[in-house]
Amino acid sequence: MEAESEFKEYYAKNMRGISGWFKARVYTIERWLYAAHRITGILIVLFVLVHFYSTGWHPGLWWDALLGIIVTFHTANGIRLILAELGFAVGKPLLIKKPSQRPVSIEGVQRYVVVFALVLFVVLAAIWAYYALVVQPMMG
Amino acid sequence: MASEEAKEYVLPPEVLEETMKASEELWKPVRKIKFRIYKYNPRKDYAPYWEEHELEVSRGMTVLDALLIIKGEADHSLGLRYSCRMGLCGSCAMMINGKQMLACQTRVLEAAGSGDVVELRPLDNFPVERDLAADFTSFFEKHRAVKPWIIRNDDVELNNPTGPYKQTVDEYARYYQFTDCIKCGACLSACPTAATDYEYLGPQALAQAYRYIVDTRDDGLDVRIPVVDTEHGCWRCHFAASCSDVCPRGVDPAQGIQLLKKLLIKRKFGFKPHKPAEALPAKVKAEKKE
Repeated sequence: MEAESEFKEYYAKNMRGISGWFKARVYTIERWLYAAHRITGILIVLFVLVHFYSTGWHPGLWWDALLGIIVTFHTANGIRLILAELGFAVGKPLLIKKPSQRPVSIEGVQRYVVVFALVLFVVLAAIWAYYALVVQPMMG
Repeated sequence: MASEEAKEYVLPPEVLEETMKASEELWKPVRKIKFRIYKYNPRKDYAPYWEEHELEVSRGMTVLDALLIIKGEADHSLGLRYSCRMGLCGSCAMMINGKQMLACQTRVLEAAGSGDVVELRPLDNFPVERDLAADFTSFFEKHRAVKPWIIRNDDVELNNPTGPYKQTVDEYARYYQFTDCIKCGACLSACPTAATDYEYLGPQALAQAYRYIVDTRDDGLDVRIPVVDTEHGCWRCHFAASCSDVCPRGVDPAQGIQLLKKLLIKRKFGFKPHKPAEALPAKVKAEKKE
């Protein structure tokens, strides 16, 4: 009986829950970045717990490169989010709107910031991967 | 005298013919579209189920037109909310093929794209009232929580007005964009944060809070700060920007929330102490100067 009422409540509430974070297919790129930022943030916390226990421990060759991808994405996108959320990259409110006005906060300066963040991510990840896959093994 | 002058205005025949042709073209059935409609009555049904209807659709037909035809001809029990049928009242927001849209402003062929199925569900993250109608109680409570009206402290002036409150165009432009909100709920429904946090104020309420805080006639920042400057207020927003993406009126709530954060941070660090209302009637201004 209790299970039935919970079942009913689930459909009546209609909350998407955690899956709502990752429902990005019909929205803009910011939604994908949001989802990725969440995942990488959670993974970084998990790594940091181990890292605190033993600061010298690293997961290994390719896993190190993967760790680099996670950390550098979170860094690059974090820079973009700091810019946007402090109101520097979202433009100004409009006085005149077109009939089918697209949002300034997404398709104005912020689009360039997105590109900048992704380029920065690729560059940082490449440097990190080079260090983890080439330099580290040479040093032993 | 007047009746002699009053002549019935008739369109030239060729223009009339062209107009009729265009109209016929617009309302001629083009193809068959299958509508998958979500049916659920929380007071009665054990679980939601889908109902399918096929309809001959014309180029000009909106989703709301199609729904009214289905309700009239096939399924009288279909529950939906609509009022103005022209995108001004915000009653008919629903999930059309997985995205929040106004049923009255979305044409069926536009929603279907190259496919031939249109899937209709009630708004995500809102309790279901019945079928396609969502329960807006909490949404309106959140809107009320940010005190969406102009708050002023000078009772003397309010009770015995001495003149108008004048604003420059720049001061007006600060908040005009956010006044277009029709409270359709699309933004809160699209918000990924609202999917897990039931208490989150949501883009609509926060954008309205910003709209009143930056209004030069308003004195209510100190009253609103306990509401918006909380973990369920503007700091829960992480700029997924879906609210602005789905807004049918170009309100851009995401921008409003980020600018609200900027304002709060500047105030916290003392860069820009918030001035009380800047727009004053001439007489009060003169008294203040003295």
